[in-house]
Amino acid sequence: MRGRFKQTVTALAETDPRVVVLLGDVSVYQFRDFQDRWPTRFYNMGILEPTLISVTGGLSAQGFHPFTHTIAPFLTERSYEQIKLDLCYNQFGGNIVTCGASFDYAWDGATHHAYTDLAILRLLPGMEVTQPGSDDELEALVRSQYDNGRPTYFRLSDHPHAIDTGPTEFGKGVVLKRGSSGVTVMTAGPLLGNVLPAVEGLDVTVVYFHTLKPIDAELVASFADTRILVVHDAFGLREAINEVPGLRTWYHGLPDAFCGWYGTLNDIRARLGLDVGGIRDAVTRMLADGTVP
Amino acid sequence: MNDLCTKIRANILDVSHTSGHGHVPTCFSVVECLIAVYAVMRHDPARPDLADRDLFVLSKGHAALAHYSTLAALGYFDAAEVDAFGAFDSRFGCHADRLKVPGVEVSTGSLGHGIGVAVGMALAEKIKGSGRRVFTLIGDGESNEGTVWEAAMVAADQGLDNLTIVYDFNGSQSRCLQIPNPAERFAAFGCAVSEVDGHDLAALTAALAQKTDKPHAVIARTVKGQGCKTLVDEVFAWHRRSPDADTLARLMEELNAGTV
Repeated sequence: MRGRFKQTVTALAETDPRVVVLLGDVSVYQFRDFQDRWPTRFYNMGILEPTLISVTGGLSAQGFHPFTHTIAPFLTERSYEQIKLDLCYNQFGGNIVTCGASFDYAWDGATHHAYTDLAILRLLPGMEVTQPGSDDELEALVRSQYDNGRPTYFRLSDHPHAIDTGPTEFGKGVVLKRGSSGVTVMTAGPLLGNVLPAVEGLDVTVVYFHTLKPIDAELVASFADTRILVVHDAFGLREAINEVPGLRTWYHGLPDAFCGWYGTLNDIRARLGLDVGGIRDAVTRMLADGTVP
Repeated sequence: MNDLCTKIRANILDVSHTSGHGHVPTCFSVVECLIAVYAVMRHDPARPDLADRDLFVLSKGHAALAHYSTLAALGYFDAAEVDAFGAFDSRFGCHADRLKVPGVEVSTGSLGHGIGVAVGMALAEKIKGSGRRVFTLIGDGESNEGTVWEAAMVAADQGLDNLTIVYDFNGSQSRCLQIPNPAERFAAFGCAVSEVDGHDLAALTAALAQKTDKPHAVIARTVKGQGCKTLVDEVFAWHRRSPDADTLARLMEELNAGTV
């Protein structure tokens, strides 16, 4: 997905001189030709995430559309107050683009795992929050939001799905499968790549989101008469869905504990029951007796 | 100009008395700094959104009352409006909101933020090649925030010679972590440095007008509470305190008598 991110930003920069790129010393190799073409609009600032955000605010205040990119926990959790004040409160725009979210850097341990980003950024007034699951979704969302003057979060993944989810429209969810059992599985982002095969042959509805703020509340509400199982490998989606009144929801995802394991993304997903088999077990139990593990 | 500074300090006292709000001693330490910045900046009080204006960011946002009083004195708005300082429906909060107050470029309050935004603004103007200058006023207490030094490093790395950092060296941290030689520190972080008496308007203005080939840190040696002996002598007690009617009269006498 980083490759598509770089391609999209480069394509935008060709026609929009207000596009600038700030890096926190990641994805530098990806952007080397961008740097060669537009050296004054590229800055690998380094490992100082709060100031990456403050400078983003200043560039935006003066008319630029910055893409500010580094590793998820450091750019969102460490720099949260800068995002809150220097972007949101000041109503300065900017595109915050992270890599390594959830367990993309599984082997680095809990210091590098990032699963609060979506949830905490949702709380900030004026913030747009996306979790594209595929390269095509990322490109569509970036093109539609990058220059709107608002702060927008794009959470990249090193493990995108390759599922055609139809036309990507910011703020809209998608129904990917319709069932008649009265159970609806709601998910977001790359985990769809596990969810869809997990429910193959099961009589459930699947609703998918790439935008968490604003959540597609109208679509969510249309399933209020069903039992909703939220399957997600981060915090934020469950909370967004539950802001819609009158729902009955269950959650299959993260515990209230650090995931103190290493290995790979798939190792951690398997431990959490977020591999294909684990998700299928949870959905099957939901269908059988309305509970989840 | 000194009359103007006295008028601004008197207004700060009046508003603090009327509103019950304000960090008076820190406001008093930066009056000359603010006047000097606006004397050097390209700006037009009648057109706060002037396209090629220079930019000022009050990074030590708790000196907002001094900023409002200065902007009012320069003609940005009617000084009487500032009497509602900190009131529920006022547009003049104890920390400024850029969307409400003409002349305020960035909403600040949490320390260590404004300077980083100012660096971004200066970087933007360098990319454009506009020649616009960016000024930011930071506090010595604020400079215990690591982001101040992140911002200084970035400014130096990018050669932001259009950025001027005014450092209010008013000794606010005398009872905790101090930066004993800020000139040396800013130089070590890659800035050109001037050090001046922060209550000497001529010296300040000359320093701010100076062209450098790096970001310029102007260390303004100031006195917290400058203008009133009581505020200087009891600086911590007055950090966030407003005068009652009797005390206001006494402070006004001290101010007009030039006790410090």
